[in-house]
Amino acid sequence: MEQAERPPGASSRPVIEVDRLSVSYGDFIAVKDLSLRVEQGELYALLGTNGAGKTSALEVIEGHRKASSGTVRVFGESPADRRAVRPRMGIMLQESGFSADLTVEESVRLIGRLSGRSDSVDRLLGVVGLTHKAATRVGQLSGGEKRRLDFATTVYGRPELVFLDEPTTGLDIQSRDALWEAVEELRGHGSTVILTTHYLEEAQQHADRIGLMHRGTLRTQGTVPELTRALPAAIQFSLSPGTPAPPLGVAQPGGSAYQIETFELQADLKRLLDWADLHDVGLHGLSAAPTRLDDVFRAIETDPVPTPTR
Amino acid sequence: MLPIAYSEFAQIFRNRAVLISNLIMPLAASAFFIFRRDTFAQIGSLGYIAAVLVFTVGAFSLYTTAVTTLSARRQDLFLKRLRSTAASDPAILSGLTLPVAFTALVQVVVMLGIFAAVSGGPAEVALLVVAILATFVMMLALAMATAGLTGSPEQAQVTTLPVSLVTIAVASWVGITGTESLTLLKRLLPGGSATELIVNTWNGGVPFAESLPLLAPTLAWVVVAIVLALRLFRWEPRR
Repeated sequence: MEQAERPPGASSRPVIEVDRLSVSYGDFIAVKDLSLRVEQGELYALLGTNGAGKTSALEVIEGHRKASSGTVRVFGESPADRRAVRPRMGIMLQESGFSADLTVEESVRLIGRLSGRSDSVDRLLGVVGLTHKAATRVGQLSGGEKRRLDFATTVYGRPELVFLDEPTTGLDIQSRDALWEAVEELRGHGSTVILTTHYLEEAQQHADRIGLMHRGTLRTQGTVPELTRALPAAIQFSLSPGTPAPPLGVAQPGGSAYQIETFELQADLKRLLDWADLHDVGLHGLSAAPTRLDDVFRAIETDPVPTPTR
Repeated sequence: MLPIAYSEFAQIFRNRAVLISNLIMPLAASAFFIFRRDTFAQIGSLGYIAAVLVFTVGAFSLYTTAVTTLSARRQDLFLKRLRSTAASDPAILSGLTLPVAFTALVQVVVMLGIFAAVSGGPAEVALLVVAILATFVMMLALAMATAGLTGSPEQAQVTTLPVSLVTIAVASWVGITGTESLTLLKRLLPGGSATELIVNTWNGGVPFAESLPLLAPTLAWVVVAIVLALRLFRWEPRR
């Protein structure tokens, strides 16, 4: 794979270095030979199907689990050395993990004090929109409010490295926007972000680089343009009966509907429009869509052979 | 450790079920023993009543509450959350169990204080304190080991029964029958030598040098329980 351009704000200092990481549970191999490197200031999204091994890999990188083989360095240290690395990182777990009998304010204050960083609880509750719930016990919060609380404890003290494990699951659109705004604010301070999510459009919109895992291996990684350029874009339209065939190589899904797969979307679209003008042909329901991350995702799911990664 | 302990204190006193079953009930049982002290003194001795008070609080207020707390915190992933911070494992465990241990210690001090006020104080206070502390450390270590086998706070009602019942039964057996017969067996059972030590230090009449070695079996149980805890304790629910 080609070398990705360095994203804005990212430096060449590696924050995370993973080399041939494998994680096994008995005979089951959850992660196999995973190698990746995340630089300071980057937002790296680790995506994959259910059971792809993302959580196992993340748990080793976070220091929650031991590797079966391979090495992981975070800030140049072993992630198991909590005293060295934890004050520099915030971890948003997939499930909240708060005590139901503590209030929102007490929960943020407790986790914040244990983080080794300092911050204002009031400021954080304002960031996640939970100021009015400060005195409410966690057990009385909705699922979305618990996710926001989780995020508040994660970004307490603006950590240098932030893990976000499905951060927007259960959040309404306003809360999602507020969360991403807060993430961008963190990145403005130079924080590195590791993201897992099932919302591909979020990864496509916010990630500098994306790694796609399937069945325990990292199948491919790179920027969105790098990942999508291997697959064709699509132009779709339908023609009235009796219209001559269009000039481009087309796949005809059925009837009068046409689909053109192209690596030269702009040029081929222009050729098609010119042809339609020339022959006075109506292109009904015309749409042109670049390759999306979903398409790459689906291609990897159906690809039995692992794609080499850099 | 202290922030965790502070939050744990708040949680204990906000959870009515824990407050009643693990704190109020042992106090009620202890009050019953003190109220009927003449009857129990005839069966055993005043030292026997003191030992039963210590083990009632130790088994329910300390051991059962600690197992319930640790399994509940693991089940709701609070342990994992705490391990996501810079706090060390010993600091997390100490913070979670300190309030339980402190509360149990206060209960014992209060109940033994009341008992001493109505029936006369112990003969050897210093050694009695050591015996109580050794017993509590043993119960705490057994709690961590048992928590490893306990999937949920509901399960704790079952998994804590063997140790709770055995230690109280041993305390009653040793307290009532003494250790003249089956000496080695009674002293090696969990809580056996501690009961004998509490009885001796409360009733008096046994030289210090004879009582002191009775700490050894209790400390051996502490070591056994710690080894078991290291092998069995889990920070996250089973997948």
